Amino acid sequence: MTKHVELPVHLRKIAHVFVDESMQDSPIARRVRKQLIGTTLENIPWTTVSPDSDRVEFDEGDAQALYLKEYKGKFLRFCPGTRAYHCCGYRIIHIGENCPMACSYCILQAYFQDRILKIWANQDDLFKELGDGFGADPNTRYRVGTGEFTDSLALEHLTGYSHDLVSFLNDYDNVVLELKSKAVDLSWMQATKRTDRVLPAWSLNAPIINEQEEFDVSTLTERLEAARTCAQAGFRVCLHFDPVIHYPGWRTGYAEIIDQIFEYVKPEDIAYMSIGSFRCMPQLTPIIANNFPDTNYIYNEFVPGLDGKARLLRPLRVEQFSFMVDRLRSHGMDKQLYFCMESTEVWQEVFGYSPSDFGGLGKRLMAQAFGE
Amino acid sequence: MQLSKEIITASADSIDDTGSHLFWRSNANESLSESINEFGQAAPILASKSDTGFKLIAGYSRLSALRQTNQLVLVRMVLDADDRDMGLLYLADNAHRPLDDGMRLAALRYFQPISDDKTLKTDILPRLGIKPKSKDAKLLLSWLDMPDNWQAHLAAGDVPLAACTPLNRMSDQDRLAVEPLFAGFSWSRSNAVNVLTWLFETSKMTLKPIADILQQSGMTNILQQGLSPKDAIARLCAAAKTARYPELSSLQNRFDRAATGITAGTRWRMVQPDNFETGGAELIIQVKNETQLKKAVEDLEIMAGVPTWREIWTLGGKND
Repeated sequence: MTKHVELPVHLRKIAHVFVDESMQDSPIARRVRKQLIGTTLENIPWTTVSPDSDRVEFDEGDAQALYLKEYKGKFLRFCPGTRAYHCCGYRIIHIGENCPMACSYCILQAYFQDRILKIWANQDDLFKELGDGFGADPNTRYRVGTGEFTDSLALEHLTGYSHDLVSFLNDYDNVVLELKSKAVDLSWMQATKRTDRVLPAWSLNAPIINEQEEFDVSTLTERLEAARTCAQAGFRVCLHFDPVIHYPGWRTGYAEIIDQIFEYVKPEDIAYMSIGSFRCMPQLTPIIANNFPDTNYIYNEFVPGLDGKARLLRPLRVEQFSFMVDRLRSHGMDKQLYFCMESTEVWQEVFGYSPSDFGGLGKRLMAQAFGE
Repeated sequence: MQLSKEIITASADSIDDTGSHLFWRSNANESLSESINEFGQAAPILASKSDTGFKLIAGYSRLSALRQTNQLVLVRMVLDADDRDMGLLYLADNAHRPLDDGMRLAALRYFQPISDDKTLKTDILPRLGIKPKSKDAKLLLSWLDMPDNWQAHLAAGDVPLAACTPLNRMSDQDRLAVEPLFAGFSWSRSNAVNVLTWLFETSKMTLKPIADILQQSGMTNILQQGLSPKDAIARLCAAAKTARYPELSSLQNRFDRAATGITAGTRWRMVQPDNFETGGAELIIQVKNETQLKKAVEDLEIMAGVPTWREIWTLGGKND
């Protein structure tokens, strides 16, 4: 009897593949087929979606579907930051939507209320649009990432998407790509020619948040080990504390993970590190309560912020930020630290300066991304 | 099921009016009794044959009025009616009545054991004036899972329909703790939902049972003060909100004190506009003529010199 190989844990709920008729012979579709051979998912059904279908229906409880789709929209986008807070100015390369992992705080639950993992399989169209954009002026620099509407690496084992993207971007010196993930898959490394144009990035959190609020994800140690592997290979990495959760015992938890970071990487290995307090559209809170009934951190002093999102009351945020920044500074971190979507007041209170003092956050991060 | 063409007469005592399908039974009101006394019974009641006589299907109030005056009853016979038919006929015969949430719940309680969920939602709810996909439909169906004592509170009008959402999230013990809040007062929808939600969320936030929160927040004490319902509800709401948002409430109290100190004796009003996201304050005034405007400017100049402003601007900040 043939013994089937288990896929990584975050891919094991995939129970069906849908593929647009026009994408059946795409490199992505061929790769997914190949990667499933010999695995426990070898025999899951494949359904071809005709051009007449306006949507795919899939509802099989906890199971997920992978949909290889011909995407007709814009691939290169601006991050949907608001003016009320300082945005990092990151540009999004839109490669798909939804995530196979389950984190209680994830905004994707509100964006996508189905269990269909969409991948834009028309990579030629993507590369054409990116080539037109990035090639128009080699002196215009871009800091881009794929981890906004999906996790950059969660489906990499099946699709090899980041590998292809890294390979494509090798020809564009004016682009730095950040691969933001909670999974560990370093297969994209083989495609890189310049280690200074890719920034592998992992989210970090307090250990208890990782254990109780993030499901089917890698452990914090696995992420830090991967970061160390990248640093040893010559890459600089990014680490993101987002969302920082205010829970009883948060000081101990965040101190522990901050201290742990520097057992694996040195401050100079880190291109930049963001810190962002948990915030959400008001409609996400009942979704979290419903999807994760044991989750308690949503019951805290959240108030409508300047952008209408629910945010932890400012003194509570500042208290957490100050603690974390002091701890990170004690390990030698300083200018690489920034806040994701915070106000001038909070920057001033915690760092003693605000982005306008150094010409804007986007500008600083661009320079740091390019190693200046 | 069929209705007979003929109308017969029967004595009121031969008609059994205890069927569970008579879920909105109420005795005859004064105007119905007067009308029957003046004109007689204009519309027959509906009944079916039973082993002992007749079984009332619809017309409880008319029957009770006729029984009081010992009159014969005009009856139209219902043939081959099962439990569902009897309930639907009763509903149809009472279609003129204004419905409240307690009545709707009583009807749903009757139909629930004899209907599947889909029928209850798509057939029965519209007969009760509720759209199947509406928020009220969801709430009413949720009430069916609530304990009998809480269903009785809804029927009595003590608790609004929307309270079901926070109540459903509570444990039996927590629901028991909040029940006294609804014993003597009639709550508005928003106040009830807010207070229950704040209590539930405070319990989750502090990992304490709601009984402890009621005690520590002073809400138990407020209930025992013999206040008017309006005052009691206002204080209960304020206490629950303070328990839920202790830091925000503390900041707001300090802001209000400082703002009052600055604007005292003037027509200016000061508010914190953004939940302390910034250290800003908004000053508001309404002026109707030049004199008032001049005075407002003079007051503003005097207010600008008050040292309390520093407290306003630093509230919630690191140097607060």
